[in-house]
Amino acid sequence: MKGRAFFLVIVFLVSLSSCRNNTKKSDEFRLAGSDSMYEAIVPDDEFSSDISVSFSSPIEIANLLQMLGVPFSQGYMASSLDVTDLASGFDKALALGILGADLGYLNIYEKTGNSIEVLSSIRKLAEGLNVGQYFDFETIKRLSLSKSNLDSLLFLSIDSYNKIDRYLTENNRGQLSSLIIIGAWIEAQYLATQVIKKHPDDLLRDRIGEQKHFLNDLIKLAGPYCSIDKQFSGLCSQLNQIAAKYDDVKITYSQGEPVSAPKDGGLVVTQTETSKVEMTDEQLEEIIDITEEIRNKLILN
Amino acid sequence: MKRFFLGLLLLMPAFTLLLSQAPNDPLVSKCLQSTGPNAKYLKDFRIQLGEGAEGGIFRYKANLSLWKNTKYRFTLCTSDKSKGQLIISIKDENSNNVASSVDEGTGTVYPYIDLICNKSGIYQVWFDFAGGHSGSGVGIVSMVQ
Repeated sequence: MKGRAFFLVIVFLVSLSSCRNNTKKSDEFRLAGSDSMYEAIVPDDEFSSDISVSFSSPIEIANLLQMLGVPFSQGYMASSLDVTDLASGFDKALALGILGADLGYLNIYEKTGNSIEVLSSIRKLAEGLNVGQYFDFETIKRLSLSKSNLDSLLFLSIDSYNKIDRYLTENNRGQLSSLIIIGAWIEAQYLATQVIKKHPDDLLRDRIGEQKHFLNDLIKLAGPYCSIDKQFSGLCSQLNQIAAKYDDVKITYSQGEPVSAPKDGGLVVTQTETSKVEMTDEQLEEIIDITEEIRNKLILN
Repeated sequence: MKRFFLGLLLLMPAFTLLLSQAPNDPLVSKCLQSTGPNAKYLKDFRIQLGEGAEGGIFRYKANLSLWKNTKYRFTLCTSDKSKGQLIISIKDENSNNVASSVDEGTGTVYPYIDLICNKSGIYQVWFDFAGGHSGSGVGIVSMVQ
């Protein structure tokens, strides 16, 4: 009897542990060359993977602002976005991206106590898109409230978005994945352009100018879906409006070989090749204005 | 026996809490801890490769956007069962070499690379296991203050 009861407890504990692993097993490792084939509209795989990493972009923008000593402001966030009113997959996915960027901003500034509202909106949106299983809300919420482990919080938040992206792409819902990425990019761009109005800084100015590259990639990512419906075609047109303001922004490069030196058991590599942004005040002003106009339209329900 | 079960039941919430706070993959969790106190997580690559040829081109490629004026740390962690150590090579969008965790001259394999990026763009990150061996591992990209 004792042996049987003990066995049942062990089976329970093992199944508890393995359940967590099995549900996400397909996300654990990707064998090289094991990409799936898709029947729906699928952008070039390699290009898609270029863009898929962009969830980190809002985090990097927020990190730059924090490094520059820019104070946190709730006013930059999409607080007026009411997710309960969003009906279409298009709106939900775009809002999921926008709020993902806001979550990154809150996390970097460790304003994690304020993130519960954003998290519950993200949860509603993710569940509305049937991808709620990829967002570990309870753990993220607990880490947010405990303010104990920023790295785990960043990991779980970013990883959740990456899993959603992978799932949508692998299940012929790539258009939703691209909307999440576009939403996150627009919100991060809005954050950077609003901050520079109050806190002019050369590093931030460069970062905004360099978005020219990434915006072009974003437009390519959206390209296959631009004609699927009115909403998507409108969004593509908005991205092109922002891109038009970047037309005369120039990015030049100077060549150089990287310099490597071992340090503390690792290797430190300093890139000597550099990029330089040439952007006038007028061009920056126009980029700020168009970004604000489009982002504010997108968060209006 | 009852005490044993009671103890087990009391421990279970702590056990499940522990499970849920850690990333699902123990190697990722362990690797996250080794990125250093000033590193902020950005991205991880989970690599699993079979036996390949020695000296061939790296077999796993991904793309990554990097920003200038930023110091990135690429931390490499290899699972115990791997035959080779996880290695990385970073190239720019024109396929020029930017950094490698292997020093071809001395044969040294570094467990992490700090890249001080001065050119924004999309970079190629190539992974393999030393000697073209089989293995599984994790590469974590983080920002360092």
